Amino acid sequence: MNPDDLLILPGNWNFDYQYFAGETASRFFAELRDHQQILGRRCPSCERLLIPARSYCDACYVETGEWEQVGLSGTIEAFAIIQTQFPGLPEPPLAIGFVTLDGADSAILNFIRGIDLSDVDAAGERLFNEKRVSVEFSDNPQGRITDFHFVLD
Amino acid sequence: MSDPVGIIGVGQTPYRKRNSDKSAGELARTAILEALSDAGLEPDAIGAVIGGVAPDALSGIGDIDKAAIAMPGKPYIHVNTGGATGSSALLAAKTWIDAGRADVVLVVALERMGQAATAQSIFNTIFDPIYEKDFVLTTITMAALRATMLMNRDGFTGEHWAGIASRNFTQATRNPLVIGAKARSVADVLASPVLAWPIHLYEACPISEGACAVVVARGDIARSRNTAWIHGTGGFSDTYSMGDRMHRAEGSLIEMVPLRRAAQVAYRQAGVTDPLSQLDLLELQAPFAIIEAMAYPALGLCDIDANRSFVDKVIAADAPIAINPSGGAQAANPVSATALVRIAEAALQVRGNAGDRQVSDARLALATGQGGATQFSTVCILGSDVP
Repeated sequence: MNPDDLLILPGNWNFDYQYFAGETASRFFAELRDHQQILGRRCPSCERLLIPARSYCDACYVETGEWEQVGLSGTIEAFAIIQTQFPGLPEPPLAIGFVTLDGADSAILNFIRGIDLSDVDAAGERLFNEKRVSVEFSDNPQGRITDFHFVLD
Repeated sequence: MSDPVGIIGVGQTPYRKRNSDKSAGELARTAILEALSDAGLEPDAIGAVIGGVAPDALSGIGDIDKAAIAMPGKPYIHVNTGGATGSSALLAAKTWIDAGRADVVLVVALERMGQAATAQSIFNTIFDPIYEKDFVLTTITMAALRATMLMNRDGFTGEHWAGIASRNFTQATRNPLVIGAKARSVADVLASPVLAWPIHLYEACPISEGACAVVVARGDIARSRNTAWIHGTGGFSDTYSMGDRMHRAEGSLIEMVPLRRAAQVAYRQAGVTDPLSQLDLLELQAPFAIIEAMAYPALGLCDIDANRSFVDKVIAADAPIAINPSGGAQAANPVSATALVRIAEAALQVRGNAGDRQVSDARLALATGQGGATQFSTVCILGSDVP
């Protein structure tokens, strides 16, 4: 068949959802919004303090214990600098990073802001050399993970 | 010892951005008929069908396998472990046969992502909407995050990623199933736009759709044919969140703990004690160069401390093993099918059917599967000899 005669129908998926965060994440976000604190829960088995807070440690498959507060500074473990606009996703350039906050045993993902990203290679080198960051809170907290971001120390 | 099991038939459609001349069922059927013909069997001989499709949203049809893969009158199982879907389906087929439920199982993996106008926003939906989805997590940023972690640990540079990519894309020009394959130099890769630093456009696997089918059988059916015998398999899972895998006794995010475990199990079954000298070739499910680099120590081909020097050898074509003669997942990555494609390619190699990409005297081959953020890993070792 002539390729021009092949039927190609348009379509789209566009559903609304509501995501149920559960009690542990709900408290994590309430502490973030109301007290500008970042809290996690420690696994009684492997003794890691999981940040962001988890109700259970999936490696040990046991319920996590008491809530503990971590520092508002930390170390970048991994980062990426988004340079290309993908349809439906936020506008670049953006730097993101997994950061281990002081006292935590897992890393939390967020934007790293306040860096000149115009020269992406230079920005990448800088993030290899300057790994310490601090949490900066939003002026208008919504009880969401985007209530804070990281800035280089 | 159970009856040995092997792959007796392989069928693959071409892998390209769009196969708009075929519906999903027609695409799968093309691969299935080729695999059955290769095996010398009629559809009646199939005792069960195991189908693999990863995110439904890539095709825009929910449970597309119901329409395109499942066959009336046959038991059917659907497998989804992301990019490891195809290899997980193969492992399920072997288990089904080992359990005595069938002598012949058809494994079919179908990728229909050519129907999606955009893939990265769909991939964003596989990430945690509570804690992580907001931060532009996609398959590309997921690769970029681990790339910087690996560069930090081992001193890798962008030239390393470009070197691996150049090698794979250039090898794919010998694989007629990779439609539009183009040789790319290190300079080409580095000059291409940055998607998410340090990942460049010409390092990222292209959008590919297509179907792959293999026929798995045991006993006299397998003994009477040119069979790629299954010598060992392993498959393991890991924690979903990448951030929860940073500080752990068993290994961090970039140590590919499930792949290491899968390799150890498969090596034990296959009697492999020195993989670098015993294996003739690898087919790695590594859609990005960093996934390939991380796999070498996890597969026991080098120590973690020697990861960069091993990659240097690979790039210099100095490693004593053939790696991705098909071009690998970097050159064509039909997501749902890609891990089965690695196994199909390894099977073609040890059966001596790999055409222009045939590795001479290939007798023992290893294929990997990777799904999620290296959350799911499989290893499958295929050999020319009956185990």
